[in-house]
Amino acid sequence: MEIYLQQLPQQLINGLTLGGVYALIAIGYSMVYGILGMLNFAHGEVYMIGGFAGWWVLHLLTRNNEVLISAALVISLMIIIAMAVSALVGVVAERFAYRPLRNAPRMNLLLSALGVSIFLQNLVLTYQGAKVRFFHIGALIPEGLRVIHIGPAVFSFMRALVIAVTFLLMGLLSVMIKRTKVGKAMRATAQDLEAASFMGVDVNRIIVLVFLIGSALGGAAGALVGLLFTQVDYYVGFQAGLKGFTAAVLGGIGNIYGAMLGGILLGLAEALAVTFLPSAYKDVVAFVILIVVLIVRPWGLVGEKMPEKV
Amino acid sequence: MMLIVAPHIMPNNYWLRIYTMSGLWVMLALGLNVVAGFAGLLDLAYVAFFGIGGYTFALLSSSQLNVHLPFILVLPIAAVFTMLIGITLGSTSMRLKGDYLAIVTLAFAQIFKLLLLNLDTPVNITGGVNGIFGFDPINFFGFRIISSVAYAYLIWFFAVGVTLGSFRIKRSRFGRGWEAIREDELAAEAIGVNTTWMKLMAFAGGAFIAGAAGALFASFQDSVFPNNFDFPQLVIVYCMVILGGLGNIPGVILGAVLLSILPEFLREYGAYRMMSYGLILIVLMALRPQGIMGEVGFLIRKKIRPDKDQTGRLRTSTELYYDENAKPLGISESKSQYAKSSLAVLELNHVTMDFGGIKAVDDLSLVLHEREILSVIGPNGAGKTTLFNLISGIYPPNVGSIYFEGREITGLKPHQVVKAGISRTFQNLRLFNKMSVLDNAKVGQFCRTSAGPLSILFHLPLHTKEENETDRKAKEVLGLFGARLTGYRFDQQAGFLSYANRRRMEIARALSTDAKILLLDEPSAGMNPQETIEITEFIKSLRDLFGYTILLIEHKLNVVRTISDRVIALDYGIKIAEGSYEEVANSEKVIEAYLGRKRQRVFS
Repeated sequence: MEIYLQQLPQQLINGLTLGGVYALIAIGYSMVYGILGMLNFAHGEVYMIGGFAGWWVLHLLTRNNEVLISAALVISLMIIIAMAVSALVGVVAERFAYRPLRNAPRMNLLLSALGVSIFLQNLVLTYQGAKVRFFHIGALIPEGLRVIHIGPAVFSFMRALVIAVTFLLMGLLSVMIKRTKVGKAMRATAQDLEAASFMGVDVNRIIVLVFLIGSALGGAAGALVGLLFTQVDYYVGFQAGLKGFTAAVLGGIGNIYGAMLGGILLGLAEALAVTFLPSAYKDVVAFVILIVVLIVRPWGLVGEKMPEKV
Repeated sequence: MMLIVAPHIMPNNYWLRIYTMSGLWVMLALGLNVVAGFAGLLDLAYVAFFGIGGYTFALLSSSQLNVHLPFILVLPIAAVFTMLIGITLGSTSMRLKGDYLAIVTLAFAQIFKLLLLNLDTPVNITGGVNGIFGFDPINFFGFRIISSVAYAYLIWFFAVGVTLGSFRIKRSRFGRGWEAIREDELAAEAIGVNTTWMKLMAFAGGAFIAGAAGALFASFQDSVFPNNFDFPQLVIVYCMVILGGLGNIPGVILGAVLLSILPEFLREYGAYRMMSYGLILIVLMALRPQGIMGEVGFLIRKKIRPDKDQTGRLRTSTELYYDENAKPLGISESKSQYAKSSLAVLELNHVTMDFGGIKAVDDLSLVLHEREILSVIGPNGAGKTTLFNLISGIYPPNVGSIYFEGREITGLKPHQVVKAGISRTFQNLRLFNKMSVLDNAKVGQFCRTSAGPLSILFHLPLHTKEENETDRKAKEVLGLFGARLTGYRFDQQAGFLSYANRRRMEIARALSTDAKILLLDEPSAGMNPQETIEITEFIKSLRDLFGYTILLIEHKLNVVRTISDRVIALDYGIKIAEGSYEEVANSEKVIEAYLGRKRQRVFS
């Protein structure tokens, strides 16, 4: 028991970092689900592509273990370009794979999303290969800044960065949804797409925007995880997608605050579980949480139970 | 014939292998077609079921655990064991809606793969990445199957078996039940289909076939590895089913054969293969969701055109709708055989339905007598439809109890309520639009039949008897509506009927459940005055000639006046008046509810 208590602060920090990333992915699922009622299977792939975009930026700006421009600028560029590339992928997928099916049965939409997921994954496999790409972050952070000791816990610079960026992005999103006109239009569309369109909201534009924002956040998560765990490959989207989805369901799918809460809780749960479980079964934690939530409280922690309209 | 010759004319062993594998793919695709095509469930654990079958075979007829059972035992064990796993997974996740089911099954497939990879320590069970190999040869009573040609026969034998089974199950109460669920799950449940059970059966059926295919595959390949049962295989099977068209058996077979042969010609583009599967899914869903075989003109039986008679002469539009046979049962012609009795058949005691603070039905008690026509009136939002949803079991009431013929039915599921003898129609028409008129009516008989999968697959007497009975019953019920729902209209899709005919179809479907009480939710909505008079007479005749008890929601007061024995008026979920039409219509409270209160000072 003693040893677990000693590890606790460290696991909390790890959990919070991981949780922030899950929350960013979960927001993308939740926003799309909130508006279209569809599960975007391809969201994990969007995240993976964000990771690759971040890797390329770092790769192109590094020579002989030295970054060509200031490290802060490189990190900012990595995140911004990852967000832009992922947003583009998300919007293109919406335009060609989901929009033609807006009035089709849900199963068709799900299958199309599955198709997008397979296509993107194998697109990356074909052009980037199956090998793992490593982020050489040694050049980015000066030696002295890499770790900060707080009591028994080690707070690495990257973890601090990930936590800061995720919370900044989530804050910006909240402000946008609550305070701006576009945010109001989004909330209206999520409640009733048809009614919103009758009130003069350009629903197609809102849907594109939702895919754009959700995918951009997923891309940011991809780049951040690359910086944190220093690697990416074509298959990471699958696991990350499932985790993000679990987080979204845990919080209450369709609700972005629920997604944030769910992500952080899932991150903490996983971090605490690895102290008890063999690491090969670490990923099972998320699946078990998912299945239990779906059976016991399918509307999530924050969401509301809705009776089916007859 | 072709199947017998084929193994011998294959140019070499390589092509013979492809031929055999395509048989396996046909089996797998048809199995998935049961789950995803017939029942419309997005089951992403399907390939894990294939794997469970394969590994079950591997463990029971190799030196891995030193168990050597004969194939004739191992094959059914593998299939049944896989089916049990399928049922277990299904029963925990079946309450979930489409997308959630997909994710849970996907997570299950991932856990399965994790187990295959990691169960080589501490005890070596699955062999980890190295898999299991070197199985006992198949031996049927001394008849050994070793040669490639023998395997081709064996596997295609099962593929043909699964094909025949698929056709039979599709044209049975199971097939109709699944189709109804796929079209409109709530309506299916409300018309007597035990949707949870049927979805579980689809899951079990798919798992059974996948398990058997897994065992055959393992034996054929003489080895099993975790990556034989991974995501790419799942994607390929899905592509086959979707290419052929969900639920379309010949299409799925064609899809499976095409996708197992075509890649062999495109070997040099191997890297793009998986990518193109993704594209196939996207493009087909956008452009041809019914698959390559669906609705291709020359492939389907030529339909009789409704606008022409037998000689090919064009009918005039009045002839089309008022055929000479279109004489619905006139009331004047036959004597009334039944009238209201004083026996209470349906009782509601202090029933309340609370939607998060809004009481749609508030402490409502009512009694419905045998062979009575009781109308419920009230302004929009008064709780009339909620009342129907409470009786038919769609919502369980928060407070109160409901009794039917002295037996409590509170909290029963909708299909159990139908089986007890209460069926309903929907205000906003929930027909199974893509099913034929006849099949819509046949679904009503689902709860009166009981043939299981074995009866259906082997056409046992129970199945045949029930099918004949269902057919007779459905035609009899549709016959009540004359030519509007009979003749060539039997085969017409319900969605193509005119609005008024769809309303009639709703009633016919409710009648075909052999219910004693009919709950009719605005049966004359959207009908013109002539049609309204006709449907009013028809509803009256249902009681007078056939003895049904009828609870009716209706807005048209002349309909209510004509047929009601009694009327109750609801407002804000509360019963504000009850009695004869005159009593209710002249009640102060009712007038107030409809027209509002006389002007008075609200703030004094």
